[in-house]
Amino acid sequence: MANSNDDDRRTLLKRLTVVAAATFTGAAFGPAVVVALAPGRPGARGATRWIPTVKLDALADGVPKRVVLTADARDAFVTERDKVLGSVWLVKKGEKVSAYSTVCPHLGCSIDVKTGGGFTCPCHDSNFTSEGRCEGGPSPRDMDTLETRVDAGVVAIDFRKFRQGTKDREEIT
Amino acid sequence: MKRLLDWLDARLDFRRHAERVANLPVAGGASLGHGLAAGLVFTFVLLATTGLALMTVYAPTTTAAWGSVHYLSYVLPAGWLVRGLHYGASAVFLVLAVTQIARMVATAAYRRQHELAYWFALALFALVLAEAITGHLLPWDQRGYWARRVEMNIAGMTPVVGSLVTSVIQGGPELGQLGLTRFFTLHVAVIPFVLGALLRLHVGTSRRPGEGEASEPWGRRQMWIDSAFGVAVAALAFAVARALHGAPLDAPADPASDYPARPEWFLLPLFELRKHFHGALEFPGVAGVPALVGLYFAALPFVDAKPKASFAARLPVLAPAFLVALACVLFSVTATRRDASDAAYQKAAAKASAVAEASIAIARSGVPATGPLAMLAADTELRGGELFGKHCASCHVLAGAGDAAKATAPVLDGWGTEAWVLAVLHDPDADDKFGRTPFKEMMPSVDVAPKDAPPTWKGMSDDDKRAVAHFLALEGSEPGDPTKSVDEPRRELGRKIVKERCTTCHLFGGEGDDSSQEYAPELAKYGSLAWTRAQIANPATKATYREKATESDLKGHMPRFDGELSQDDLTILARYTRAKARGLALPR
Repeated sequence: MANSNDDDRRTLLKRLTVVAAATFTGAAFGPAVVVALAPGRPGARGATRWIPTVKLDALADGVPKRVVLTADARDAFVTERDKVLGSVWLVKKGEKVSAYSTVCPHLGCSIDVKTGGGFTCPCHDSNFTSEGRCEGGPSPRDMDTLETRVDAGVVAIDFRKFRQGTKDREEIT
Repeated sequence: MKRLLDWLDARLDFRRHAERVANLPVAGGASLGHGLAAGLVFTFVLLATTGLALMTVYAPTTTAAWGSVHYLSYVLPAGWLVRGLHYGASAVFLVLAVTQIARMVATAAYRRQHELAYWFALALFALVLAEAITGHLLPWDQRGYWARRVEMNIAGMTPVVGSLVTSVIQGGPELGQLGLTRFFTLHVAVIPFVLGALLRLHVGTSRRPGEGEASEPWGRRQMWIDSAFGVAVAALAFAVARALHGAPLDAPADPASDYPARPEWFLLPLFELRKHFHGALEFPGVAGVPALVGLYFAALPFVDAKPKASFAARLPVLAPAFLVALACVLFSVTATRRDASDAAYQKAAAKASAVAEASIAIARSGVPATGPLAMLAADTELRGGELFGKHCASCHVLAGAGDAAKATAPVLDGWGTEAWVLAVLHDPDADDKFGRTPFKEMMPSVDVAPKDAPPTWKGMSDDDKRAVAHFLALEGSEPGDPTKSVDEPRRELGRKIVKERCTTCHLFGGEGDDSSQEYAPELAKYGSLAWTRAQIANPATKATYREKATESDLKGHMPRFDGELSQDDLTILARYTRAKARGLALPR
């Protein structure tokens, strides 16, 4: 009888130890995991969208011009005035201005103009036509185009970013 | 001394411990191979101490990181050495780990119950790669930033969990502040902890004799081999540090720049490997091939298990290992040689290294709290040159920017100097002056008779011309300029002539006869900073040229830039243009 009581106590103690270990593990790692995963949520970064760049007059017809986009922006806990967000290639054809992201849709390197027209990526040699169409190289899609409008003679760009390496473009929010 | 040691020994029992350590068995007897493991330990210690020293200065934020590394490298007395040692030791660790693996494969050292030691060596190699990858991001410079950006995008291609993996590692969809903090944490805490533990296990399991394996005490011979390895790795790290004079630092990370990204030397084989897989095969190729290679090496103790097989008999099993080694070398050489013969890449790389050099020079006087990019954006030489190239060089020529053959506006080298004024007085319509602008034929020469000149026409005397040039060049001078000898009587004569003769068309201090035309510019303070800035902002405000200067019938006139350039950029561009035109040094 005494023995069986002892066994019960042992079993109970074992169970309690397991519960204690689980509780401790949860307490030690739970919050840590939450913090490690939390910033991945969308909306942690944000920037105003329509960003003014250069005057329409400053663009020569058919000659791509690289413009840097700056706006007040936030990155995690840091807010910054006129933060450099990225850059785009502007191409004017008649009255129409096209904007192409300089971020290569392949792996995100910086697309440059190619001697002899069109664009090229210096990392893995993706080539694009002067209309941003992919013509050779590993890029899975054409250069990402961005909406443009002209506000009081100044070209503004609806700045967005897209995931790299995907065939269809997916906006990063 | 002896008494002190006795006193300590009575409490710590260290003599017995020393004895125990000296008697630790070394499997198979002392060897250089065992020394490699000791070399890894010493390198790890060197990395830890130099790493801690770096942490006394380094700050892991996107605005402070680059500046703190610059401070270490170029301002603190031995900072460059500590960085160089850390950098050198990391390369030594990588090379030692590879050598150790190669040795264990070549001698089949994973037999006799040493498989774990071999697997730990493989893990050490993977972890030191992770250390190098995370470490190279920390300076937050162009090279590290762009290489990691590409790698994170490759990681993002992982099926299903890709974006989760990248967002956990870098704290969001893009590499930014949280990414830097996380790479820092991985680099200085998480990975070193695991690495240190594995290193301990590697040494233990490789030296512990297997069943029936001979051994000898560590204190007999191995201790001296290990000590020699310690000295050797320190010497190697010093050699690397000295050869590179520290460790490389590129320009500050700029996500908007046209940087031609390339990975570090130890990743070149993977960079080249990627070129052979396209489209849907890209991720399987880039991640799958290294994974297969890893599996092969991990499986070797099972595949190559036949005891006492000769080296020749093992060759078929080892062939893939040779192939991998050969491929790594070949790929690295191919990638390097392709870049060396790629003119477009070389040009972009030269441009990038010029920015790096300039950044390092500018930062010597400190980096603002807003970060190194703000510092570069405020630098007259760098930002001014960039702005001139972008906005002015399609028409003008200055300091090597622009094409003199195609220029449709004056060459600005020398603009506003005495020599330049003299040249304009003589021939304003020269190609490098106003001859290709809409202002052609508006200003007459002062010493060449016009075609319809009356017989009484008389050109300006040389003395008068020199007086005008002297006066106008001084109008454009600024307090900060190097002092020039001023000939007061001549300057006064120049002022008199300008006020009497030139104001028929020109303005001076807002006044002029202005009878026939309204195209000639203001001459008061001509070429000064204020004049230059006003001209760039808007050439038609009367401060420089008048309203008519930007009318559409004056085709090809200079446009205004005040809508396009920020107030700061206008000032920088004006300062740059004036200083370069006059051959003045820019403050830095």
